[in-house]
Amino acid sequence: MTAPLSHLDLLEAEAIYIFREAAAQFRKPVLLYSIGKDSTVLLHLARKAFWPQKPPFPLLHIDTTWKFKDMIAFRDKTMRELGLELIVHVNEEGLKRGINPYDHSPSVYTDVMKTQPLKQALDKYGFDAAFGGARRDEEGSRAKERVFSFRSPGHRWDPRRQRPEMWNLLNGRLGAGETVRIFPLSNWTERDVWRYILREKLDVVPLYFAARRPTITRNGQLLVVDDARLPLQPREKPQMKHVRFRTLGCWPLTAAVPSTATDIESVVAETLGARTSERQGRLIDHDQAGAMERKKQEGYF
Amino acid sequence: MTALTAIRREETAPEVTRELNGILHLLTCGSVDDGKSTLIGRLLWDASDLYDDQRETISRSSNAATGGAHPDFSLLVDGLVAEREQGITIDIAWRYFDTETRRFVIIDSPGHEQYTRNMASGASHADVAIMLVDARHGVKRQTRRHAGILDIVGVKRVILAVNKMDLVDWSQERFRAIEADFRELTLRFGFREAVTIPVSAVGGDNVARRSEHMPWYTGPHLLEHLERIPSRDITARGSFRMPVQTVLRDGLDFRGLAGTVSSGCICVGDRVTDALSGQSAHVLRIATMGRDLEIASQGQAVALQLDADIDVARGAVLSTPDAPPSVAMQLEARIVWLWETPFDPRAGYLLRTATDLAPITSLEIKALLDLETLAVQPAKAASVNDIALIGITLGRPMAVDPFAVNPATGCFLIVDAVTGASVAGGVILSAKASGETHAASTFQLTRELLERGLNSDLGGSDADRREFQRRASEVALLLHAAGVPVKIEI
Repeated sequence: MTAPLSHLDLLEAEAIYIFREAAAQFRKPVLLYSIGKDSTVLLHLARKAFWPQKPPFPLLHIDTTWKFKDMIAFRDKTMRELGLELIVHVNEEGLKRGINPYDHSPSVYTDVMKTQPLKQALDKYGFDAAFGGARRDEEGSRAKERVFSFRSPGHRWDPRRQRPEMWNLLNGRLGAGETVRIFPLSNWTERDVWRYILREKLDVVPLYFAARRPTITRNGQLLVVDDARLPLQPREKPQMKHVRFRTLGCWPLTAAVPSTATDIESVVAETLGARTSERQGRLIDHDQAGAMERKKQEGYF
Repeated sequence: MTALTAIRREETAPEVTRELNGILHLLTCGSVDDGKSTLIGRLLWDASDLYDDQRETISRSSNAATGGAHPDFSLLVDGLVAEREQGITIDIAWRYFDTETRRFVIIDSPGHEQYTRNMASGASHADVAIMLVDARHGVKRQTRRHAGILDIVGVKRVILAVNKMDLVDWSQERFRAIEADFRELTLRFGFREAVTIPVSAVGGDNVARRSEHMPWYTGPHLLEHLERIPSRDITARGSFRMPVQTVLRDGLDFRGLAGTVSSGCICVGDRVTDALSGQSAHVLRIATMGRDLEIASQGQAVALQLDADIDVARGAVLSTPDAPPSVAMQLEARIVWLWETPFDPRAGYLLRTATDLAPITSLEIKALLDLETLAVQPAKAASVNDIALIGITLGRPMAVDPFAVNPATGCFLIVDAVTGASVAGGVILSAKASGETHAASTFQLTRELLERGLNSDLGGSDADRREFQRRASEVALLLHAAGVPVKIEI
């Protein structure tokens, strides 16, 4: 007999199963690709699920225009190397209105530059299912998410109307106007994501590795200044510090951590020994109590 | 991946690459009054690597709820704002923690009767269940109901945690009485293992460390017991089953039947059969991205290339020729009604198995099971939270097993054809091919009939074949809704 499967083997197989079920059951799926570590793992699992074919769906990146330059470069390189189809969508309306992450509250900014364009893109291309890299261990309301998460017309999430999921059965039959978000990494933890990146030797955005970067301290958080758009206070003089990111988003909203971890092994070692959860570094989640639950109800991933 | 390879060091710290030996899915059931959230919170607090910010949040918000006596551990568990406001657990919540050797998944389910369906769906994912009672109240009707649900959805190991032992002065006598009640209760079900442990979740007694207050208890504490339970893949044996999810091609000569092995194992060279078509072939190759395997066992996601191009598609269940699943037209089953809309004999329903979906042409509610008394009452209707015995006639044959023999191919969902909702989850008690001839009035929906008109635009591609099936199902449902007995013959 073969050796028993490790927990990573089981999580990998579960994700592949979910991908294959979704591709077979939905008319037009799309993979929401946000460039970070979770998306990297998600994309790798999608490739495994359909190998030797390419994943039978395109990728979609909702670009807020405030992503780190390194993220965009990594995104384009990955698409080129793997020969995948990527759709990039920006909320041009929000851009014209000058919605940005420093003048507007995190909830307004997230709604206009992330949630709205996501809904626009899903409607524009007629996608009935979207894969996302969300994990149940991320946050309280995520802990109750289904693997197939149904959204009523208008992409609203109603936690009380979710379909029960039993055994390994995934029911993807849609009612009128419904769409679905699919979470193949539901049962992964942050530590699993890193262990898997290490095991599978996956390439990730260099921002996850420590380097000397221009940083300022604002509200007790370390911010890396990626371009000249963020207005600085007179006493905010960017200083070069050895930092890295545990989680990646829009640069004015994503806090860095001091670190000397310059390769994947030390990043994983640091993550396994970390004393704070990764969402600490995401400024949008601290906006108000139940912030994620509210964002999700409005259609956020 | 060159950038990474370049910076990758040869030696890697062992704890970095460490993979845990399997996953144990642990259901917790009981009501808030019994201290369930506190017990889970305590387990996470004592046994898992909680992050500092999580600990801080709990410590900070403890004062209001508990008068500052101790952290309110339940805050680690109750997630949704609506739930926090009402102080109850409505939905299933998933938590993860690792010990030295093992990943634990805690599936936290609500205990109240009106949430039986949530508990049943949570329990269907569990390897072991912790049932919680208050030492002052002992085994209640609710405990019996929970045991009944666990038994139906296939949980084989149960633990009764007798909580709040501090409130009965750590009384051995009290504990032994509850233990005896529980033993009597579990004997009525098919559990493989049932243990009883005295705990105090608030103080952490016998949760993740031995209690100093109960020297008379010599058994394992809760975490100790959980760590001893074997993982699912070690305990599971059985005939080979692989429900086919999709067919993968490389544009050349590779045609892989993709799926996850749901029980048993298969080797290169073994003969496999599709029970639905009766066709067999040998396994030429077990392919995955990166490497081929010699053997695929339960839980592995693979693509099987066969040595003959047999006509197998999504919905088929591959087996070995000597132990195939049933090719069934009629099922006897137990279900939990999950949806607010009650059973409607005129509605169109579909049966979803792992990878197949077929119309139900007749669904008969035969009886309801009273979980507290285990009495069976003849019935014609079923609504939310009901446990029912039913008979199903399918519009076409499906490959299934009795749940007791092979759980992964013995469970199903009943799907509302119009709304798509999963209205019921069920387990197959017995399956048979349609032995008795259908009434003369049964309409035969044949391939020929469909090809002539409705499906005349469809060819032989995989997509077209799927569409053919889909249209046939929809027509069958419409006929059924119009009161016409129908059988699909395609």
